Amino acid sequence: MEETNETLCLGIDLGTSRSSVSASNGERHVIDSYVGWPVDMVARKLVKKPVMVGREALDNRPMLDLRRPLERGVMKDGSEKDQEAVQEILRHLISLAGIKQKGKNKARVRAVVGVPAEAFRVSRQNLRNALEGIADSVMLVSEPFAVAYGLEALLHALVIDIGAGTADFCVMQGRYPTDEDQKTLPNAGDSIDEQLMKLVRERHPDAQFSIHMIREWKENSSFVGERKERLMVSVPIKGKETQVDITSEMRAACESILPPVSETMIALLTKVEPEFQSKVRNNVIIAGGSSLISGLPEALSKALDELGGGRATVVHDPVFAGSDGSLAIARDASSSDWEKLSL
Amino acid sequence: MASIDDTKAQLLRGVVQDNIDVLQGVRTRPLIRRKGRLQLWFWSGSLAIVIALSTLSSYLISRGSAPARSGATVSPVAAVLNIDFTPESEVPLSHPRPINREAIPLAIKTIVIDPGHGGEPGAISESGVTEKEITLDVALRLRRLLENGPFEVLLTRESDRRLSLDQRVAFANEHKADLFLSIHVNWMEPHTVRALETYYVGPTDDPATLKLASRENKDSAYALSDYKQILEKIYVDARRDESRVFAKTIQSRLFRSLKPKNPLLQNRGVKTAPFVVLIGTQMPAVLVEISSLSNEGDVELLTKMDYRENIALALLEGIRGYANGFKAFDGKGR
Repeated sequence: MEETNETLCLGIDLGTSRSSVSASNGERHVIDSYVGWPVDMVARKLVKKPVMVGREALDNRPMLDLRRPLERGVMKDGSEKDQEAVQEILRHLISLAGIKQKGKNKARVRAVVGVPAEAFRVSRQNLRNALEGIADSVMLVSEPFAVAYGLEALLHALVIDIGAGTADFCVMQGRYPTDEDQKTLPNAGDSIDEQLMKLVRERHPDAQFSIHMIREWKENSSFVGERKERLMVSVPIKGKETQVDITSEMRAACESILPPVSETMIALLTKVEPEFQSKVRNNVIIAGGSSLISGLPEALSKALDELGGGRATVVHDPVFAGSDGSLAIARDASSSDWEKLSL
Repeated sequence: MASIDDTKAQLLRGVVQDNIDVLQGVRTRPLIRRKGRLQLWFWSGSLAIVIALSTLSSYLISRGSAPARSGATVSPVAAVLNIDFTPESEVPLSHPRPINREAIPLAIKTIVIDPGHGGEPGAISESGVTEKEITLDVALRLRRLLENGPFEVLLTRESDRRLSLDQRVAFANEHKADLFLSIHVNWMEPHTVRALETYYVGPTDDPATLKLASRENKDSAYALSDYKQILEKIYVDARRDESRVFAKTIQSRLFRSLKPKNPLLQNRGVKTAPFVVLIGTQMPAVLVEISSLSNEGDVELLTKMDYRENIALALLEGIRGYANGFKAFDGKGR
């Protein structure tokens, strides 16, 4: 690499649905994890860009070959286009952080990227490869570990990071977590979307809606447990805008992740040394986009009753908890550590 | 008690080391510790299971109890079948009559894919690639490809989850699967060998196959009291003919597809073996060894997405080929 004037640390939470970046220069941004290329010359002329990322891509999707290149928190399979899309997201995040990527005075970038707790070695290697030419040094860390590090919840804590693609668990016991301390489940936001789509379609077979509408309803009104008001949404039925009630469907879809998440939480807690189990039970921390489901911490706290009681709480800033934690790791790592992990 | 700064420093050392391990292809430390214990348990336990299985089978064969139903002459089993290089040898045991497809119209509706291992790594290459991650990756790809077709596709595991072999069997049986495909990656001696093999249920006296079966059967969760039933299933199960046809289709499509990309690949053909997942399942079932983690050339290919996608595509072709055989059988046969 050429000589650089500035070193910038980045924490990146590369999510299936949303990706966020926290930079050492104080910048913080979140984008939708979508990338789109104009489908033809006409589209290119209209969108005036060779590639679009994030909300802009989503809003212009009729004119784009739209990709959501991450699946279950890691790069999708097989397609070079998806790899390219991941690189576009990373470049976009870095540019949003105000980092100069070209020229003599380009910044030296040290990035910590969160991946699912049980991301396979092959997936990690693919991600490292995608970061070549974008960052100078890279560390990959498990997402819930990054959250725990950022919150300094390093001892007697269980972090559950529920995103779109995966729910990741990590027990913090004052040491670097082993395989036994971590777990990844595929039951997360996307599985709620699929379930909601199916249920709404069953109840309102004539209603017209897309997966993007389903996601928007979920992001605005997801809940578990009881809800006082009915949840009404507006959808076209035979072309006519109609209000439909999706209260029970939303509840059923959101509650579909409760059994696997509760079971995994309990399974991990029972593995903690007996004298510390009570402390960990009372320090269950929920992060990630799906932690915003109304009633989720109460439902998980209730599940802890089975073990004698406990407390689950949602982090103060679920959107940036992962990238802030990754940034904290990036800042604390020494230059010699970074040199070992140069790309 | 350590200060928060000391704890952070310790955690950072772990992060850096973990990343260096990934870069250098070294397996993670907890797995190394576990491997030693597992190996000891595995060689003492599961080898004993297979030896017991073979001994018991020989005993039953010599008494003529299991195969007596067909009155077949019983000899030591030579069950290695090679579809490309050697003529298929008969399994010299009770040979159940094949299903008459004209009499019973059958269709493939539900397919269970079983990514081998999980939780525990299975075979590990010198560079640290684990069997569990490759099998799951290929299974997920295969599911994606199959879901474009008319099949309902179910996976025994969708994450790095430990499942005993009897749980995998129960999953397929409970979901009334029409086909069962278990995906594994081999570990072979000598390490220069790059080979493909596909297995269906049956006995074997091939030492290498016995060793492989002992390795793959290590989490069986079956008890000694189950053995008589297990042995009977090995010898008299009528599914075996269908499984053999399925295995041959899978093996030939896989070899044909991968050979151009992996010129040193050998076709070890279709074989019989007493894998627990093949014994307990109630539908045509095969276990395919899609590559070999003992060969670093194979490992390098396996780390490429395109190659894993090719494997999934070849398995898709194999499944379609077998399923189309059913559809096409309007009195014409296959």
